Order: sequence, then structure tokens, then C-alpha cells
Amino acid sequence: MKKIVAVTACPTGIAHTFMAAEALEEAAKKKDVEIKVETRGAEGVEDELNEEDIEEADAVIIAADTDVKTDRFRGTAMISVAVGDAIDDAEGLIDEALTKAENYDPSDEDLVEDVKERKSERSSERSGAYKHLMNGVSRMIPFVVAGGLAIALAFAVGGIHMKGALAGALGQLKGAGFTLMVPILAGFIASSIADRPGLAPGMIGGYLANDLGAGFLGGIVAGFLAGYVTQWLKDTIKLPKTMQGLKPVLILPLLSTLIVGLLMIFVIGKPMGAVMSGLKGWLEGMTGTNRILLGAIIGAMMAFDMGGPVNKAAYTFGAGLLASEASTGPVIMAAVMAAGMTPPLGLALATFMAPDKFDEQQHEAGKAAAVLGISFVTEGAIPFAAADPIKIIPSIMTGSAVAGGLSMLFRATLQAPHGGIFVLAIPGAVGNLFMYGVSILAGTVVTALLVSTLKNKVK
Amino acid sequence: MKISELLTTDLIKLSTEAQDKDGILQEMIETLEKNNKISDKDEFYQVILEREEKSSTGVGNGVAIPHGQSDVVEEAALVFAKSEAGIDFDSRDGEPAKIFFMIAVPEGGSSDHLSVLSKLSRKLMHEDFRTDLLNADSKEELLEVIEAEEE
Repeated sequence: MKKIVAVTACPTGIAHTFMAAEALEEAAKKKDVEIKVETRGAEGVEDELNEEDIEEADAVIIAADTDVKTDRFRGTAMISVAVGDAIDDAEGLIDEALTKAENYDPSDEDLVEDVKERKSERSSERSGAYKHLMNGVSRMIPFVVAGGLAIALAFAVGGIHMKGALAGALGQLKGAGFTLMVPILAGFIASSIADRPGLAPGMIGGYLANDLGAGFLGGIVAGFLAGYVTQWLKDTIKLPKTMQGLKPVLILPLLSTLIVGLLMIFVIGKPMGAVMSGLKGWLEGMTGTNRILLGAIIGAMMAFDMGGPVNKAAYTFGAGLLASEASTGPVIMAAVMAAGMTPPLGLALATFMAPDKFDEQQHEAGKAAAVLGISFVTEGAIPFAAADPIKIIPSIMTGSAVAGGLSMLFRATLQAPHGGIFVLAIPGAVGNLFMYGVSILAGTVVTALLVSTLKNKVK
Repeated sequence: MKISELLTTDLIKLSTEAQDKDGILQEMIETLEKNNKISDKDEFYQVILEREEKSSTGVGNGVAIPHGQSDVVEEAALVFAKSEAGIDFDSRDGEPAKIFFMIAVPEGGSSDHLSVLSKLSRKLMHEDFRTDLLNADSKEELLEVIEAEEE
């Protein structure tokens, strides 16, 4: 008999979770399929699936409107649907899951998939302030990409002074993209906290931060301020039913914008502006040694948790400066990307340099890591680091510190916040291209040497 | 704990005058208030509406289970209502809802009632149970149907 395991969950955990479980159990009975359903309701987890259940299962059905961790099901065919779909058509789901199981080949789940899964798991695990910040940053990045590459093309077309109508127009594009960047950042931090009503006060606060010279740091403050203020207003203001409709369209936008806007102008804007210009002065006046040191620290941060909060902090710093500080931002951004590329690149190189220290699976993973590395997906190093963190993490941190420090020393610049090796092909995107390549190569080689020296032979 | 401990005869409405979703929700919330199960009618209405905005609790097959957890709930309770004609509840299958169970759950505290409600939710997926509920002509008969199912 075929066996299916399933997980059901819904936000309140009182009704739908159990209706879906019942529907699946009934449908399985009808189809003569064995099933075990784990319910994750308000009372907690019931009928929890154990390793044996999962081992025996032909397929997994996740019917949930909340986040359900799926790493324990890796290697088994799985379908993921809304909890309501199981209530509507449980029999259809069972058919679908069994069909998927028939055509399922676990070796299809290669490293690239694995990395993608880990990335999305990480973003679903994010919580609190970090989650809100990343919601803003991820919305902001495309604006920085568009603006940054427009300026790169403007330099390519019209030289360093952007001469000519086309170059001028491209410069105007960059201006629009970069001007929108901080309001977008602030707006989406705020709407991550307070849903839709947070967007307007967040964007307005972000615009003011720009205006007051408080840059992306001011934008982050404005976004959190707008989000928490709006959420507080939402929770506190109680209106009679007949006036409920006024709350989202009149009262919330008016009050939240007034509070956030006035605080930005009279209280927060100036000190944040001072912080930004202090930062700018410090970055511009930095001597050679300090520049290398900063690059090395940023580099080590990029490698430390490979896409985790520390990596994202360094990345946000680079991408934020890129748009607000035309002189120093591209230098920092270049160091950030170089350091983010070397961990997977160095590990890929190590699998070729010391083949006897990696098993067959890791040799395959090495090829994939090379592709992820040139694409600036630092997470490509995770499968190696997870297997042997004590030796891998210090090695990749050292390599990334070398890449970041050298990139800063050579004053390489990068106008876009992403793109890996592919952005190097866009004219004007990278300054001091040759030495930038040398920095990345040096970091890669250092990583590979350390890894292949430190690791033990595979028996 | 049993379903019948959460659903007393005072909380059963065998017929309703409500014509639409808002009407039936209001009516059931008023029933909760009259029986001192909730301390603030408007607040609980908001909680119920917020849940409905996420997705309708009209789960199809003529069943709707509007539910809310809030500190204005004094004591866990169920309200049962029935509409012969059926009421449009934005149900997933587009069909009007005829059987309504409103679930009110207090914040925190004992979780005895939660397992009762999860059992009720499971039972509502069975067609026999739904038919028996619809055919019950008196409050007593309705409670009998539920108690029989609980055996």
C-alpha cells in the first residue's frame, strides 16, 4: 500500500487545520492509501511525524497557510498547497502527490536546488526587526541596480563628465532611481510592520530622510518609526462601526504621516544627517591601512554566515552607501561583492586542488559552487560549511578578507549592487577592472589553499 | 470536555432572519453577548471580521465557521445557527452556507476547549453529520445529533 504523510496548519489553528486533516484522512481511506497527518494547531503539534513515518512515505503533502519547515522531508516527493485546497479536493491532492512520487528522482535535488531551498527557508525564518529590514532592502535593490547601471552606461557613453544628450539622459535615470531608493526602503520596512497603512508614512519619512541628508540610515530609521507608529495607531484607535471605513483612508495616513514627518524634520533628521556626513567624511579621509582594514572586516563579515544576518548587514551597508555616497559607495560595494564571491569560488577551486579531501558528492557540489560563486551567491558555500564548519568558515573568512582588503586598496569601484561576474561585462560598471579581478582571484586562491591544507583526507 | 458543554440551548438558533454575511455574524455575536460569553460586542466583531478578511471561513459544503480568539471572550463558547435558504458567505465553493458555528475562544488559559473545537471541525467534514444537523427540528434534537456523534 502506498503511504503518504501530510502536515496541516492554519493561522488560528482551531478549525481549518483539522478540517483539512480529516478531509485528507477520509480521501486516503477511499483511495486505499495509508496516511498519517500531523496537525499543527493552536494546541500544538499532534500526531507528529517521526523519522520512520517520513522514511516509509512515498510522498509528502503540506497543506498550510503558515510556514512549515520542510527540511525534514528532503529527498521525498512533496507538494505544498494552501490549507483550503485540502478541504476542497483532498482526493485530487493525493493523486497529485502520488503521481509526483512516481516521477521523482531524489538525485535531481542538486546543490543549486539545495541552496535555493536553504535561502528561502532562511527568509521564512527571519523574524522581528531583521525581517522588516530585509523586506525593505530586497525591495530597494532593483532600484539601486537600475540607477547604478544607468550611471555606468552614462560614463561609458559620455566619458567621466557624461557629455552628450544620451549620457545626460542616462544620468537623469540614475537620479530618479537613486532618489526613489530610500523612500522605497523606508516604505517597505514600514509596510512589513504595519501592512498597507505603513507604506505612505514610511515612503514620506524616507523621502524626508533623503531631503535632510540623512541618507539610507535615516531611511531605515524612518521606516521603523513609521511602521511601529502606524501599528500602534491601528491598535489604539477605536471607532464606532459606522466610521470604521474612515480609519484606513483618512485617519491612519493623516496621523501617522504627521507624527513621522514632523519627528523626521524636527528631531531625527538633523542628527541622522550629521551621522551620515560624519560617515562620509570618515570614509573619504581614510588612509591606506584603514581602507584595507575596513575592506577586510567587511569581507570577513560577508563570509561569516554566508547570506545570514551578518552577511546582510555588510551587504546593506554597501548597497545603501552606493546610492547615497557617490564617491565612496562604489568602493565599498566593490569590496562587498568581491568578498561575497570568493567563498564558493575558493571551495570550488579546492575540490580541484585537493581532490582526495572531498567525496564524490562534494566534487559535484564544487562545480555548482563555481557557478554560484561567479553569480555572487555566497550561499553556495553553505553545503561545504555545514559539513565541516570549524575548518571551512575560518578559511572562507580569511579569503574574503583578502579579497575585500585588496579591492579597497586598489580603489576598485562597482556601480551595481549585484550581478557577479556578469556585471563586469557592462561597460562602465566596474572601475579598475583588472585589479578588481586580481582581488577576487587572490581571495579565491587563499580560500582554496587554506581549505585544502586544513581539511583531512576522505577515507 | 464535550461540545455540549460549549453549546447550550440558549446558544442555538434554529432559524435566522439574517439575509447576508454581515447580518448572520451580527446576530451570532449578539447571542454571545446576551449570554455573557463576551464583554465587548464591537471588539469581538472586529476580531471576527479580521479573520474573515484573511480568507472566508465559509469552508464549502454549506458550512461556515467564523471564529475568533480575544481577551474580550469571557468563556469559550459556540453558537449554532441554521439558515434554510442559505446565505452567501463568500464560501470557497461559491455555494451559500446553511450551517453556522461561531467559535469564541478566550486568550490564554486552559486549552481544553481547543481539542473540542478541533473535533467538531473534523466532524463537519462528514456529510452524514451535516445532513443530521440540517434535519434537526428542535434544539434538543440538534444536541442529540451532536452528542451521538461524540460517543
